[in-house]
Amino acid sequence: MSEVMSFPILERPKSKGQSPMVTYNGVVKRFGAFTALTGVDGAVYPGEVVCLIGPSGSGKSTLLRCTNALERIDEGSITFDGSPLPAAEKDVRAVRRRMGMVFQGFELFPHMSAIENVMAGPLTVLKADKASARRQAEQLLDKVGLAHKADSLPAMLSGGQQQRVAIARALAMEPEMMLFDEPTSALDPETVGEVLAVMRKLADEGMTMLVVTHEMSFARKVGDWIVVFDHGKVVEEGPPDVIYVNPQAERTRNFLSHIGWHE
Amino acid sequence: MTLDFSVLHTALPRMIEAAGTTILISVLAMVIGIAGGLVIMLLRIAPNRVVSLAALSYVEAIRNVPLILLVYWGYYVLPILLDLRLSAFACGLIALSLVVSAYTAEIFRAGVRSIRPRQYDAALALGMSKAQMYRRVIIPQAASRVLPILASVWVSLFKDTSLVSVIGVHELAYVSLEIRSSTFRVLEILSTMALIYWCIGYPQAKLVDRLHRKYGAKE
Amino acid sequence: MVDFMTDLSVVYDNWRYLGGGLLVTVCLWVSAVVLVTISGILLAVARTYGPPWLVRIVAFYVDTMRSTPLLVIMVLAYFALPLAVGVTIPAFPAALLALTLEASAYACEIARAGISSIRAGQMSAGLALGMSKAQIIRKVILPQALIRVLPPYGTLVAGIGKNTAVASVIAVPDFLQQSTVLSSQTFQPTEIFTSALVIYFILIFPVTRMIDLLYRKVERLGRS
Repeated sequence: MSEVMSFPILERPKSKGQSPMVTYNGVVKRFGAFTALTGVDGAVYPGEVVCLIGPSGSGKSTLLRCTNALERIDEGSITFDGSPLPAAEKDVRAVRRRMGMVFQGFELFPHMSAIENVMAGPLTVLKADKASARRQAEQLLDKVGLAHKADSLPAMLSGGQQQRVAIARALAMEPEMMLFDEPTSALDPETVGEVLAVMRKLADEGMTMLVVTHEMSFARKVGDWIVVFDHGKVVEEGPPDVIYVNPQAERTRNFLSHIGWHE
Repeated sequence: MTLDFSVLHTALPRMIEAAGTTILISVLAMVIGIAGGLVIMLLRIAPNRVVSLAALSYVEAIRNVPLILLVYWGYYVLPILLDLRLSAFACGLIALSLVVSAYTAEIFRAGVRSIRPRQYDAALALGMSKAQMYRRVIIPQAASRVLPILASVWVSLFKDTSLVSVIGVHELAYVSLEIRSSTFRVLEILSTMALIYWCIGYPQAKLVDRLHRKYGAKE
Repeated sequence: MVDFMTDLSVVYDNWRYLGGGLLVTVCLWVSAVVLVTISGILLAVARTYGPPWLVRIVAFYVDTMRSTPLLVIMVLAYFALPLAVGVTIPAFPAALLALTLEASAYACEIARAGISSIRAGQMSAGLALGMSKAQIIRKVILPQALIRVLPPYGTLVAGIGKNTAVASVIAVPDFLQQSTVLSSQTFQPTEIFTSALVIYFILIFPVTRMIDLLYRKVERLGRS
C-alpha cells in the first residue's frame, strides 16, 4: 500500500456526494503462473471519465475485461451499482447489458451491415421490435457521423469508421457505463481523431467511461481521473492536472518520460 | 439370436490374410499413383496448352466420378479397349492408381505453388543453379507441406480398396462377405471385418493428425 | 481400339430404366447432403463448445468414421444392424444411414475448422453486448464459419454424390446398380459404363463449380 499514492476522495471532483458505480477491492487475476493483477483497489464514479494508463502488459486491459466479467477474478471483489458481479454466467449477462464495451480490434460482425451491427444487441438481447431498433440505430449512426454508411459492410469501411460503428453498437444497449479497450491503438493516425471526437462527445454528455488508452492528450484533456498501472498494480492515481504535470510516483515519471510526454 | 464366434477359428486366418492383400494393393496403388501423379503434374504445368488442358481434363474427370464405377469400368471395359486379358487384381489396381495419380497431381502442384516466389529469388541470388535451387530449397519445403496431405490420401486409399471387392479381388471385404454367406454368421463375421479395418485404420488416422500438426504450413 | 461405343442405342432404349436409377441416386444424394449438413454443424458445435465427455464421444465417432470404409458401414447398416436391433431395414434407408454417418464426421471436422478460425474477439464482442453464448454461436460465429468453409464443403458434397454409387453394393436400385444390371443383360459394358461415367460427371462436376462460385460471392462476409 505504501507504493500507492492516492489522493483523498474529497479531491476527486466527480465523487462528491455520490456512491461509486464500480468498485475494485483487492482484485487479483492470474493466468496460469502469471499474475496479471496483483491486488487492485479503486473506484469509478458516475459521470467520470477514468483513464487507465501505463506500460503494455501492466494489467490495464485485464482489469477492464474483469469489469464486465469477460475474465473472472481469482481474489478480491468487483462491485457494480453496489452489488458484486454475479458468479453465474446467466446472471452476469444482465450486468453486461448495462455496460458497453469497445474493442481495440473493433470486432464488428462482418456478415452484417453497419446498421445491422448496431441493431444486433437490441434485437437479440433486448428482444426489441425491428422498427424501433432500426430507428434507434439510425439515430446512433447519425450521432457518430456515419448515417450515410448504414448499409455498408464492415469490409467497406475504414478502421476509424468501423470503430465508430462499434461505439454506436455499444450505445444501442443504452448502457450506464462504457468500457474502452485501447480503442484507437489499431487505427491509422488520420482516423484516430474522428474516434476520439466521438468519445469526447460522449464524455461531455456525462457518460461514465473507463478507458484504457495510450492517447495521452485525450486522457489529459477529457479524463477526470487518471490511474497509472505498472506490473499489475496501481502505482498512482489522481486528476490529470497532477498526473501529467507533477506526478508524485517515480514509476509514473519514468513511464511518461519514456513515452515522450511533454506538458 | 445367438452369437457363435467359434466360426472365427477358420475364418479369422483367412480374413487376416485377406487384410494383407488389402495392404498390398494399397501400397502398390500408392506407389504407382504417386509416380503417375508426378508425371501428370509436370504435364499440367507444361507450356504447351493442349498438353496442360488434357492433363487438367484427366484430373477433373477422375475426381468427379465414383471410384466404384471406375473399378467396374476398369474391369469390364478396359480389357476390351486394350485388347488384353487382365486379372481382377490388375484391374482394381489400375483403377485405384488412376485415382491416386489424379489427386496427387493436384497436391504436388499446389505444394510447389505454395512456396513464396521470393524463395526462388533468394536461392538464385546466392548463385545456385536451377537444379540446386529445386533440390535444396524448393522441393524440401514443398515436401514437408505435401506430406500430411499424402498421408490423408493413403488413409482414403486404404479404405477405398474395399471397393475392388465388387470385381472379386480377394481382399478383406470380399473374403469376409464370402465367409458370411457361406456360414450365415452375419453379425460375428461382419463385426470382425469392421474391427480389423478399424484396428488398421484408426492408428493411421491418428498418425495423419500428428503429421498435420507437425508439418502444417507455418509461416 | 476398334468398335468402341458403336451402339449407344442400348443406352437410349433403356432410358426409363436408367432414368429411374438416376432418380434414386439424386434422391439419395440430396437427402444425405441435407442430413449431413445439419448433423455436421451440430457435431462441430458439440465438439467445440460441449462438455469434455461429449467432446470425447464426438472425437471417437469422427476418428472411427475416418478409419472404416464406407462399404463396410453400408454392409453393417443393411445386414448387421437389423439383426442387432431386431428390425428389418430396407436398402435405401440403410444406404442413407451409412452415407450420413460417414460424411457427417467429415462435415463436423470441416465446420470445426471454420469455427476455430473465428477470432476470439467476436465472442467477446457478443458477450459484451450481453448476448448468451448460444446466441453468439448461432448469430455471429456459425454464419462466418460456414461461409469460410464453403470450398471444402463443396468437395464434401461432391464426395457424397460419388459415394451414393456404393449403395449398389447393397442392391439399392441407384444409377450404378441399374447400369451394372443392364450391362450384364445386354453384354454391352463399354457403352453403358462409359456413358455412366459421363453422366455422373455431368451430375457432380457442376455442383462443385457452383459452390465455388457461391463462395467467391460471399467470401468477404466471412472475413473479420
